[in-house]
Amino acid sequence: MTVRGTQSAVTTPASYRVTDLPEVPKLGGLFAKGVAGSAGKRPKGEVRLPEVTYRVARVDTAGEAAHLAAYQDLLGEPSSDVLPAGFLHVLAFPVATAVMVRGDFPLPLLGMVHLRNVVRVLRPVRLGETVEVRAWAQDARAHRRGVQVDLVAEVLVDGDPAYQGVSTYLAKGFTAPDGAAPADESPREAWTAPLPTARWKLGAGTGRAYGAVSGDQNPIHTSNLGAKAFGFPRTIAHGMYSAARALAEVGPARRGEAYEWTVEFFRPVLLPGTVDVAIRYATDVAEGGADVASGFVYDGWRSGKDTRHFRGTVRPL
Amino acid sequence: MSTTPSPVPSTREAVIIGGNRIPFSRAGKKYVRTSNQDMFTAALEGLVARFGLQGERLGEVVGGAVLKHSKNFNLIRESVLGSSLAPTTPAYDVQQACATGLEAAIAVTNKIKLGQIESAIAGGTDTVSDAPIVVSDRLRAALLDANHAKTTGAKVKALLQIRPKDLAPATPSTGEPRTHLSMGEHQAITTAKWGITREAQDEIAYNSHQNLARAWEAGFFDDLVTPFKGLTRDDNLRPDTSLEKLAKLKPVFGAKLADPATMTAGNSTPLTDGASAVLFASRAWAEERELPILAKFVDAETAAVDFVHGHEGLLMAPVAAVPRLLARNGLTLDDLDFLEIHEAFASTVLTTLAAWEDEEYCRTEFGLDGAFGKVDRSKLNVNGSSLAAGHPFAATGGRIIATAAKLVAAKAKETGRPARALISVCAAGGLGAVALVESV
Repeated sequence: MTVRGTQSAVTTPASYRVTDLPEVPKLGGLFAKGVAGSAGKRPKGEVRLPEVTYRVARVDTAGEAAHLAAYQDLLGEPSSDVLPAGFLHVLAFPVATAVMVRGDFPLPLLGMVHLRNVVRVLRPVRLGETVEVRAWAQDARAHRRGVQVDLVAEVLVDGDPAYQGVSTYLAKGFTAPDGAAPADESPREAWTAPLPTARWKLGAGTGRAYGAVSGDQNPIHTSNLGAKAFGFPRTIAHGMYSAARALAEVGPARRGEAYEWTVEFFRPVLLPGTVDVAIRYATDVAEGGADVASGFVYDGWRSGKDTRHFRGTVRPL
Repeated sequence: MSTTPSPVPSTREAVIIGGNRIPFSRAGKKYVRTSNQDMFTAALEGLVARFGLQGERLGEVVGGAVLKHSKNFNLIRESVLGSSLAPTTPAYDVQQACATGLEAAIAVTNKIKLGQIESAIAGGTDTVSDAPIVVSDRLRAALLDANHAKTTGAKVKALLQIRPKDLAPATPSTGEPRTHLSMGEHQAITTAKWGITREAQDEIAYNSHQNLARAWEAGFFDDLVTPFKGLTRDDNLRPDTSLEKLAKLKPVFGAKLADPATMTAGNSTPLTDGASAVLFASRAWAEERELPILAKFVDAETAAVDFVHGHEGLLMAPVAAVPRLLARNGLTLDDLDFLEIHEAFASTVLTTLAAWEDEEYCRTEFGLDGAFGKVDRSKLNVNGSSLAAGHPFAATGGRIIATAAKLVAAKAKETGRPARALISVCAAGGLGAVALVESV
């Protein structure tokens, strides 16, 4: 299937070996393994990613109705049988996590910083459809503070990609392999908050609430002690919570059936906290300020401050 | 957007006979424990008494309340049943946030114009002091589950879902459901976008109090208001306020924006309790009963804006509705004798005027050739508006219609030529309703 406006579809690198998993693994067990394995993963030499794709050949979404309803209720997605991109991310996330907790995955699960996400929904996935989920890691490359790596998750229906999500993480202090692309970042310009279009008052339990629907119970989101252990004064909101909420506020009617959804993360959102949000038409954002020519641009920052939390786009494909 | 006037369908006239309201009172004062039904019935009874409508079967009574308890599903009908109108007078409720009262008037006048009814009362009521309080969603879900449960065990299990924090009641707020910003915060954003100054806002507020006070003193409201619960005048009115006093108030909205916060309790409307009602009829019905005819309710227009994604300010819909209404009637701002622009906030009036004066805005948003026009401030809210009178949401439309009708009637009598008033009411949800009233 071809989709107007998209570049070539992301697919598993040809050299990667496909390993079948019988089912989507449970995140709890993966986290335990990740926590245990993290200590042993220290910077030594160049980062080499395992050339493996995890595949769950048949994931039946029919049993997800209650889970979907809980997700829609929390994020503000309308009740619908079409799975939002954020929900597909949640479905595929454990498979990607399984790659990251492999013994030969060189970076520690805990302590990696989520930098950005680029997601494409190429066709709608409906509740009840049986899907295939694939995930792999690719493209370890230099970042000024270490190495960044892409975790790619793909959801296929009848062999065709329906969802492709690229999550980019930073492992501080690690070294990129030879031949890796140079860091593509330019110094960040001073940023001034635009006028908000919405205000999100996030309660102390926001991390636990999204943890419950996403399965991502990383202690930095669910317990103040856990957050302190990683250098945060309090729990922080999941980046994907903010991004998924912005996606929901654009809504199915405006993002269309096939769409791209991106997010870039800056400073984390401490909980409880108030985030001012501007979700604007790309055409309404001043010249040069919009990352895309169509669709929506969203920004989030600490209410009353210029502390930037996230920025992203949602555009129909 | 097309600016070609669509023809106004030719129908018979709907005329305004008169209005009545109770004095508006700041929340938590005189009308504590007074229900919407009590207040609307009082406004209705005053109108019935004024025009001798006891025992009369009217075509319809239409109105509503913005903050309404679910038990008040037939609020207006129940008020009619408690009034001395004939119990055979039909009624229904409408709700369009702050435009409720004006929308009710649009509804009944359309029926009169079409010949479906001969007479009608439109109005509205709102109380913040007696506002419904709802339980939290989690408590509601648990109670509903328990109610639907078939066995005692299942009922107990459902009730055991309740957690202490679920017991906290939810009071109604003026927050927009999609943005979680209060109306004041939304208007602060619009104020910042248009660069409206604190001084300009305070001046609007000052004028509102001065004008309303003068109108009260001159007896303008003598036949528009019925005393209620010991109150004879709007108790938010501050005839002695000054620009200096207003300048001392601390901003209450927009504190989190980069632009200076300018909106205070003085230049924003207070939460208010009150009710209003306006009597409309066909000309024949009024003449048959030898009732006075103040004005015609000529035409109306509603509009909505996309505020959710910041393309337009929450309260800016009337800005779009007015050019459409005037174009359809072949009029410009210069053809108006009075502009009654509801003062949700002083800055709402100012952002409205600023937008109409902005060439580029009027070109891109409305497809006009240039600026819509400049409003002659001497025609604006000449007898005060919501900043001074207060703003019991659904009651404001009726207050303004009655004032506008009296103003054009007096002006026409004075000058011997027709007089026109424009009514503009902004509302939550990015809504706006506007109407044209003309002397007969």
